[in-house]
Amino acid sequence: MSRFFDMILSAVLLAGLYATMAYGLGLIYGVLRVVNLAHGGVIMAGAYLGWYLHERFGLDPYLSIPVVLGFSFLLGVVMYQVLVRRLPRGAAGGPASLLLLFGVWLVLRNIAYLTFTGDDQTIRTAYSSRSVSILGSPVSVNRLVVLGIALVIAVSLHGFLKRTQVGRAIRAVAQNADSCTLVGIDVNRIYTLSFGIGTALSGVAGVLLATIFSFNPDAGSSELLKSFVVVVLGGLGSIFGVGIAALIVAAAEVFAILVLPSYLTTAVGFLLLVLVLIFRPGGLFGQRVLS
Amino acid sequence: MTEPSPSTPPSGAAARPTRVAPVPELISRPEGVGFLACVAALAVLPLVLELSAYAHNLITLALVMIAGALAWNWMGGFVGQVSFGHAAMFGIGGFVTGRLMLSLHLPGPACWLGGAIVAGVFALGAHPMLRLRGPYFSIATIGVGEASRLVFTYWERFTGGSTGLSLPIDSDAKYCLYWWALGLAGVVAAASVVIRRSSLGLKLLAIKSDVDAAADVGISATFYQDLIFALSGAVVGLAGGLYASYFSFIEPKDMFGFDRSIGFVLMAVIGGVGTPLGPVLGAVVFVLLRTYLLASYPQLYLGLYGLLLIFIILFEPLGLIGLSRRVLRRLRRRGAGTSVMP
Repeated sequence: MSRFFDMILSAVLLAGLYATMAYGLGLIYGVLRVVNLAHGGVIMAGAYLGWYLHERFGLDPYLSIPVVLGFSFLLGVVMYQVLVRRLPRGAAGGPASLLLLFGVWLVLRNIAYLTFTGDDQTIRTAYSSRSVSILGSPVSVNRLVVLGIALVIAVSLHGFLKRTQVGRAIRAVAQNADSCTLVGIDVNRIYTLSFGIGTALSGVAGVLLATIFSFNPDAGSSELLKSFVVVVLGGLGSIFGVGIAALIVAAAEVFAILVLPSYLTTAVGFLLLVLVLIFRPGGLFGQRVLS
Repeated sequence: MTEPSPSTPPSGAAARPTRVAPVPELISRPEGVGFLACVAALAVLPLVLELSAYAHNLITLALVMIAGALAWNWMGGFVGQVSFGHAAMFGIGGFVTGRLMLSLHLPGPACWLGGAIVAGVFALGAHPMLRLRGPYFSIATIGVGEASRLVFTYWERFTGGSTGLSLPIDSDAKYCLYWWALGLAGVVAAASVVIRRSSLGLKLLAIKSDVDAAADVGISATFYQDLIFALSGAVVGLAGGLYASYFSFIEPKDMFGFDRSIGFVLMAVIGGVGTPLGPVLGAVVFVLLRTYLLASYPQLYLGLYGLLLIFIILFEPLGLIGLSRRVLRRLRRRGAGTSVMP
């Protein structure tokens, strides 16, 4: 029984990270209808940036989040302005954007290889191995902090989209870009902003990932896969739905250890993806866009 | 991505206005002759010229990759479903071939056929995925690729794990593989053109342009995607089998690697996605480029692939075919201009 509780607990702790990864992908897909195939690459880049700031300047990984946020926001703005915007309008959601962003991913990967070599890295802090006890189960402090940050991100994203003028504009563009131009919303600016915020979230997810798992320049494909599963399962409808979906994915992965050999847990994300796409292609809660 | 218009009927047809072909001829006579001449020239090449082992290697590799790239294009170009997981079929073809050779001592062609069939059936197993379109499909293929790489790396009894398999191929058989590869590339190239111009090609085009509209006129997207994916998988598996035999040593990390999947995408994109013969050009350029880059800039080639993808998609979505069309059009316009001038 306590083993069961342990597993539920570790699923909850993992879910925060998965939800953060998924927001980045989901926001861009919801607003621009473009699947950011460079998502995994941005997560990897965020992880390296956090790691570098920690190794070089001794900056605590959680304190480096604002820096990573800024950098990956800029990266996203540049990616949108220089690349995605140039695609012909009809092609933006088609194979062209996939191939284009895939190219960006390859470039990011190569840059990481050149700068940091292909070695596995992980951010190790003084409190990395410390743990506290929750109802008798030991829980890593690190993972608790990650969950906390993920919750803060979820709440602030929700507040931003619901309560601010810009957030409303983003939701409006997600629903109908053409009508938005009629009422004077600068759609192109909203696209740029959404792409920037989306990649910023991916970058932060990278830092969170780096504090828990080891990573190398090849990292990102399983993160992309999991984020996508979460987005599809949770729908683009609500932050809450994404959270629940992240919990389901995390739980599936944690419990898969019981029946699958450990090297196959990565394949769980894929299996879930196929199952979800077949049985709930509209997501658990139906398909509503950011409303 | 824009669609290349089906090629116009040969100019002979224009002289007789009574013959209006709604579907162009599958292969016109000059095209057929030119194609056979190319294949014949390549077939006698090693006999006439004293090819170095290096050149022989390179051409054989290019021929195998041509077949793979063309087959990728059936799915990625004709149907418009971009797959990032074709390495799975390539690897399965290779390892089934290897296993059949090592365990059952079957002759080469039987092994390749076996590999192709298993790869095709594996692709058919992707049936549930084929209901997915666009990005959903693409991301699912990334998953299939990764999952199959993991499964086959750890399935040591079948693939030899990370130590790989050594195939029993003597040097004569290896030398003859050149013609097998040429035959495969030739057949697949002809098949590409025929598929593109046949009613099957039009159906695929309809599916690519609008699945729902295609369904309205009675074209079952599921059936044709299954068909094309299975065919594409079988050909890629066959290419994998030939590749495995030729290099006589294979390991899962290489055969199922993400790089290999990227390779198929890139070959088609360089040549021209959706054009029937663009991937031929793409594969040749890719193999030369890869050999050069791996020798000179091994740490840069991934990024250069990425840049290449970005530039092609932004500036010339139809790759080399699109580029050559543009150049031809410009030349023709200039030629027309001077002839009016005299």
